[in-house]
Amino acid sequence: MSALSSHVLEEIKELPAKYPQPRSAVMPALDLAQEELGHLTPEAMSEVAAALELDPGYVEGVATFYSLFHLAPTGKHRFYVCTNLSCALRGADEIVERVRKQIGVGSSDQVSPDGLFSYEEVECLGACEYAPMMRLDHRYYYDLTAEKVDALVAERRSSSPLTPTLSPEGERERRSSSPLTPALSPEGERGKKPRAPRKKKADG
Amino acid sequence: MAELRGSSGDAPNHILTRWFGTPDLHTLDVYEAKAGGYKALRKALLDMSPAEITGEVKTSGLRGRGGAGFATGTKWGFINRDAPGPKYVVVNADESEPGTSKDRYILENSPHMLVEGILIAAYAVGANQAWVYIRGEYDEPSRMLTEAIEEARAKGYAGPKPMGKDYPLDIRLYRGHGAYICGEETALLESLEGKRAQPRSRPPFPAVKGAWGRPTLLNNVETLATVPWIINNGGAAYAKLGTDKSPGTRLMSVSGNVRKPGVYEVELGQTFRHVIMELAGGVPEGRNLKVFWPGGSSAPVLPASMLDTKTDMESLAAARSMGGSGGVIVMDDTHCIVKAAHRLLQFYAYESCGKCTPCRIGGDWAVRTYERILAGEGSQVELDTLIRVSDGLQNGRCLCGLGDSAGWVIDSTIRHFREEYEDHALRHECNVGKVPAIA
Repeated sequence: MSALSSHVLEEIKELPAKYPQPRSAVMPALDLAQEELGHLTPEAMSEVAAALELDPGYVEGVATFYSLFHLAPTGKHRFYVCTNLSCALRGADEIVERVRKQIGVGSSDQVSPDGLFSYEEVECLGACEYAPMMRLDHRYYYDLTAEKVDALVAERRSSSPLTPTLSPEGERERRSSSPLTPALSPEGERGKKPRAPRKKKADG
Repeated sequence: MAELRGSSGDAPNHILTRWFGTPDLHTLDVYEAKAGGYKALRKALLDMSPAEITGEVKTSGLRGRGGAGFATGTKWGFINRDAPGPKYVVVNADESEPGTSKDRYILENSPHMLVEGILIAAYAVGANQAWVYIRGEYDEPSRMLTEAIEEARAKGYAGPKPMGKDYPLDIRLYRGHGAYICGEETALLESLEGKRAQPRSRPPFPAVKGAWGRPTLLNNVETLATVPWIINNGGAAYAKLGTDKSPGTRLMSVSGNVRKPGVYEVELGQTFRHVIMELAGGVPEGRNLKVFWPGGSSAPVLPASMLDTKTDMESLAAARSMGGSGGVIVMDDTHCIVKAAHRLLQFYAYESCGKCTPCRIGGDWAVRTYERILAGEGSQVELDTLIRVSDGLQNGRCLCGLGDSAGWVIDSTIRHFREEYEDHALRHECNVGKVPAIA
């Protein structure tokens, strides 16, 4: 049985014709695969490669380069918390701590036991006038406080089914809401070692 | 949309933001009726030759607002309009420079202004197809831009016969997937072609061999959004604003320790004192300005004593910094410069694409050195190492500017705050009150 459903594979096969050269379809195709499965498994990447008539290693090479492709399971709701300088100067670190505490997850390669939540610290998301901020379920949340984090987590706990979201190129249900198994440790993004969680050091 | 934070409304220097805040400005109807939208496109397509359009942009003196500040009209002139085969306009909407949010400000407030600028540019350089490479995290801006493009097609402003002119013009989006390096133009092209985003060696330049091997004009969002005003009002009118060599206005996103963070439209040549203390309201009560990054995290820092530096590119170069992306990050005296530099080095190390050895190795090396210093394990050796690594990252040793930027963070923070570095490395103490939320 294939990892990707036949209608997704059909959709992927139609992508190359939309670009001046077919290779440009690789990232939109990986998007479709990730939308269906939640993350990119080796089988899914192989199937994308076959559908696009590319080498599987090539497809994996692209998938490992970009941080929005996930090679390990994520929570249904993933908190992308900016901790770059503009947000850090306005308390991003406390926001990360609060997210961790509220979702019961200690590092970015874990998923909460109910499969609902995961998080990662990300680089600047380009909304610095609203720092500290984050991205969650395809939208930005601004002027974060501990209370706002609590509310966002509580809302998602109480209404588990994801509301459909729009992807820029067309409307589509994001993905099925089946609970995910707890995470394995992720392959390194960009083909190198996984990003070490930023350790908080003692003052001074 | 969230509460607007930044420039809007009528003011002599509001070229881009004049109509921002107008309800439904993101729709074609309001953009056209209220803001005079698409007048410039009509004029360009029906009353001007491509050479005249490029000529106006050259006269304006507009310089690229992405970071490098190259003369826009000159760049347009590099494309051989008569070369056979497809040519492309590629719009860099991969805004990811830390502290920079001004392209998002344009996309969310007035997406049609960008659409109009793209269509004019495409016609001027002889392209029929434009691609907007937009960062994957920009969900809302992508939706708004997609809707704006659809509206423009439906109205006949884009498509097979824009404004009735027999010259097909179309715009499509390509979503990025999280990689700072894609803001570098040749890495962006690699990504658009479905590859790992590693910069190309130049020449050939994109104007000759760009997207899919074809002649390509690459411009930043803000650069193209400025074009309709120039076509409507003339290049000479634009050139009257700002300074001789850095004409016009630019958007500066001011963030960090200020009372009123926001995206402000600033006439070039104004001082950073005006930008930080007046527009952004200065640092919070009871604190003092310590340092600011004048043009994104890649621009070498300037200490508070240089607050009267002017915002034009020549003044910044004289101050050993640069205008960069217009992102002004402000830090007050409750924060430690060594920790801030460490956080930025983590960023550059993580975002290195790995193609050039100095950048791939140097970034991580610098991070490890900062870690030792901040753990109280530093000595003169670590300080010397930082300076050596910084030098190794710079001066053309890498294909693109990412390595230089990482080196400049080290360099400029040591240059202006050596004592604080020595406190950490030699005396193992931090004499700054509050520790930032980092390190």
